[in-house]
Amino acid sequence: MQTLTWSETWYLAPEIVLAAFTLVLAIADLVLPGRINRDLIGWGAVLGLLTAGVFVGWHIHDLGVWDSAGRDPYYNLLDGSYRVDDFGNLLKLVFLGAAALIVLASLGTLKKEEIPIKGEFYYLVLPAVLGAMVMASSGDLITLFVGMELLSITSYVLVGIRKSSGLSGEAAFKYVVTGGTASAFVLYGMSFLYGVTGSTRLFDIGQALQSGAVGDYKAMVYAAFFLIIVGFALKLALAPFHAWAPDVYQGAPTPVTSFLGVVAKGAAFAMLYRIFMNSALFAVSDNAQVRDDLYLALAVLAAAAMIVGTVGALRQQNVKRLLALSGVANAGILLIPLTLDVTNLHSSLFSEFFYYLLAYVFMNVGAFAVLTAVSRESGSEELSAFAGLYHRAPWTAGAMTVLVCSLAGLPVTGGFFGKLFILFGAVQNKVIWLAAILLATTVTSYYVYFKFIRQMYMRGGESEKQVRVPPAVGFVIWLSALASVALGVLPKPILEWVNDLFSVTKDFLAP
Amino acid sequence: MDIVFSQYAWFAPLFPLAAFAVLTAMGRGLRTTGAWVATIASLLSFVLSLLIAIERLGDSAEDYTGRIEWLRAGSIVLHAGYEVTNLTALMLIIVTLVALLVNIYSLGYMKDDERISVFFGYVALFTASMLGLVLADNLLTLYICWELVGVCSFLLIGFWFRKPEARAAAKKAFIVTRIGDLGLLIAILLLYWNMPNHELDFTSFYNVFHSQSGLISTSLTTLIALLIFLGAVGKSGQFPLHVWLPDAMEGPTPISALIHAATMVAAGVYLVVRTFDIFAASDAALTTVAVVGAFTAIFAASVGLAQNDIKRILAYSTVSQLGYMMLALGAGSTTAGMFHLFTHAFFKALLFLAAGSVIHAVHTQDIREMGGLGRRMKITAWTFGIGALALSGIPPFAGFWSKDAVLAAALDDSPWLFAVGLAAAFFTALYMARLFFLVFMGKARGDARAYAHAKESPLVMTLPLLVLAVFSVAAGFVETPWNEWLGSWLTDGEEKGSFSSMVVISSIGASLLGLYLGWLFYGRTSAGRNPVAERLPWLTRLLERKYYVDELYELAFVRPLAKLGRGLSRFDEAVVDGAVRLVGSSVQAAGKLNTRLQSGQVQAYALYGVLGAVILILAIAGRRFW
Repeated sequence: MQTLTWSETWYLAPEIVLAAFTLVLAIADLVLPGRINRDLIGWGAVLGLLTAGVFVGWHIHDLGVWDSAGRDPYYNLLDGSYRVDDFGNLLKLVFLGAAALIVLASLGTLKKEEIPIKGEFYYLVLPAVLGAMVMASSGDLITLFVGMELLSITSYVLVGIRKSSGLSGEAAFKYVVTGGTASAFVLYGMSFLYGVTGSTRLFDIGQALQSGAVGDYKAMVYAAFFLIIVGFALKLALAPFHAWAPDVYQGAPTPVTSFLGVVAKGAAFAMLYRIFMNSALFAVSDNAQVRDDLYLALAVLAAAAMIVGTVGALRQQNVKRLLALSGVANAGILLIPLTLDVTNLHSSLFSEFFYYLLAYVFMNVGAFAVLTAVSRESGSEELSAFAGLYHRAPWTAGAMTVLVCSLAGLPVTGGFFGKLFILFGAVQNKVIWLAAILLATTVTSYYVYFKFIRQMYMRGGESEKQVRVPPAVGFVIWLSALASVALGVLPKPILEWVNDLFSVTKDFLAP
Repeated sequence: MDIVFSQYAWFAPLFPLAAFAVLTAMGRGLRTTGAWVATIASLLSFVLSLLIAIERLGDSAEDYTGRIEWLRAGSIVLHAGYEVTNLTALMLIIVTLVALLVNIYSLGYMKDDERISVFFGYVALFTASMLGLVLADNLLTLYICWELVGVCSFLLIGFWFRKPEARAAAKKAFIVTRIGDLGLLIAILLLYWNMPNHELDFTSFYNVFHSQSGLISTSLTTLIALLIFLGAVGKSGQFPLHVWLPDAMEGPTPISALIHAATMVAAGVYLVVRTFDIFAASDAALTTVAVVGAFTAIFAASVGLAQNDIKRILAYSTVSQLGYMMLALGAGSTTAGMFHLFTHAFFKALLFLAAGSVIHAVHTQDIREMGGLGRRMKITAWTFGIGALALSGIPPFAGFWSKDAVLAAALDDSPWLFAVGLAAAFFTALYMARLFFLVFMGKARGDARAYAHAKESPLVMTLPLLVLAVFSVAAGFVETPWNEWLGSWLTDGEEKGSFSSMVVISSIGASLLGLYLGWLFYGRTSAGRNPVAERLPWLTRLLERKYYVDELYELAFVRPLAKLGRGLSRFDEAVVDGAVRLVGSSVQAAGKLNTRLQSGQVQAYALYGVLGAVILILAIAGRRFW
């Protein structure tokens, strides 16, 4: 058993930074007198997230140098149970950036009467992101599970942090129950996997499955993977495992909703990729059937999520519930690249996924930030709160229009190209039925998203009061809107950059 | 002689296009300024065209072609380009001169219209498209401009869109010409498939068809030529697609002069001249052109005899004269056709503008309510008279020489065509005499007060009349029996005009007879009597109703098509929309179901999950163990 050496802690720098910031901010929150504004803790959390992001960037640079020097661009820690590679680093950057934007957007908008313990809210985001980062970097089932639980348990607390609100408590309860169920499913599946292959290391599991373990224990392998799939379907809120999402999203404070939709979902995808790309690629001829069935199951879940999410959102009047169901549909879309046959040299799958994830992060964080600003003024989270926004806050309405276009997948936004690339991938791999469902649900979703446009531009609001947007929130809204446009105007460079960094063989299939 | 200005020929359409952009961008605030912008732009185009024409007067002036690659899709390359030849130089002069004069005239005529800058914008766009059509070096570019002038024509006919007649006329013009355009489009596609290297430029047509190389079979050549001719029939108002042109007179009168007399309607003739190599390779096509042209000439001229609207008479006259041009082309003489196009542009524009001046003064278009205006409007009456004499073919006015050339070419081809042309010339003189005498001579028959207020139009309107009158007198001398300059310049000496004293004498005789009878019927007895109508009421009625062509079309095409349309629309509403509504409502119903399932009970959620998992596992993994 390999142990961690001092010099290797450098590879854990981002994680260590986050842990340190968490401790420091927690202690600060305890010792600082009550009259000091807890926004200070919030700024500290943003600083911590950005510092960790700098270290991740540093790692990406280092790995790039290794790559050009001929050395494999990844590093294994602790016997390969923790990996520093481009796949993990890219996703970590997304998690850190998204979390920083979410905290930024909540600065100055949280109401004291709703969340009396603002400091805790701010510093609890850090361990949650740490859990997400562990999920993105693990090479071992145990580490993966630990990361997932770290993220989940912190999220339960965050969802229930509006202690005085019954809705928040109900949401936290439901989230604990479903989250616990999901963890149980995943863990049960993992135990089968360990039983069949005798290892918890993803690489070893992959090797064992490759070399014929499947043939002897076919039913066990099916059970293992299907239990894991169901567990993640619960986590990702794929239909028909999505029913908790609208309730939880509605009950949670808006920044937490945004965090659940973006970081928690992204982390679950990271873990799904780790497990499936490493272990479920066994290509021995008589086992190909099992593998195909697993990917087919994922494809069916993706299709169901797209349909149910879009159709369910049609009649929603509550913005958070609507965005929750939109998140269900988007999770289905994000799942598509993984379901396509990797063995068919569909090597751009990760860049397709990553590009849409990036677009999805910006449009969601931006839309939730707008919702924060709007509901802060009117006290309502219904669609009607957006009525006449064009007259009350024309600039914010303009940014929201861009974000809505990105959500709907209209050119020239990131959402459009994200969906386009995924669509191309599906068509290239001749999975026409999935592409058709993607197209049909996208068209249907126009109806959903244009409810925003209709409210903002064509309905008069009850009050003509100007909506005051705090500067930090305005910054997040505009950064998201501009990023959505930038992704739409310059899709090529980003796609190529990701394609350059990422490689299936080095990031997943290497020991 | 060095080619200087021809290289910059593409500037000619650019000036009015820029004016159009400025007028559209600036909007209605400009008013008179906008009108002047458009006028100056057309002046610049005219000056450039003049310089190009002067440059080309030299004997050795070479054709100049400029082209750019426009589209590339795989191995398919499409070009856009322009070509300056003697023919295009002549057309440039005609178009820019008439456009300039019409612009100046409109400064006065449209002065009080609230949408004056829109009007000038449309005219500028039309001028640009027409110049593009003239300059195009290949059929595709020509087709694009061809459609653009059609759009401008549509917009300008319906310019006073509050009048239901104007709206109906614009629609009719658009739909009827579209029938012809479809023919042209099919011809272009056929050429694209069959020409070597998919070339569509006129030089390649010359190379392929002129040499009779056999690359394209005779029957296909005939088909292509007839389809091109269908386009020309639509645009130039030839029988049986002539019905839109008289209705198009609902547009402002300067537009009737520019688009529906001098330039756009002549585009059909120009198209046949431009692609004449294709026609020349097929006798059947040429015969068709000649017969259709001759028939249209006499048919429209006879209808013109019984109309009472001053502009409609001139419109039928235009149809008839365009028939003459087609007759000349069908008889094989591009020189005669182009020559008549050239002179006709001037005297017909003159007649329309003078008619506009009359309408401007008395605010009616019905010639039965006019009379005696000659004393009130001297310049208008004199210039109109010159135009009428030119149209009737009285020497030495321009129309005489060109009509003579057409008739001579017809006689070369067939004595029957010549006889029809001669009869049409007689009718032409007759209806022009009727028009002139009823409008300008005799006593005022209409509203006495309107007559008392009638006065000569302002200088901006009479100046173009005078300029055009000069051309109506002088333009004929570019091609006379003793000086075949135009023919040799246009065709590089390939075509020789034929002179026959019989043609000259008989055509003068027919014209004089027409004028004399006109004077006898309408000039001498200035009372409201109509001697022909009294003696042959059925004939007059037939002519007044324009041979019932419109009614026939209404019965044979419009009503059945409208019925079919209503049926299809019902199908659309019931079946197609019904299907759409079904999809929409079922999606909405699914949404409702979804909301209902969302009970808030976390136990129920878990149940959905378990059910989903069981179904998923049984359906996908379970089938392997059965």
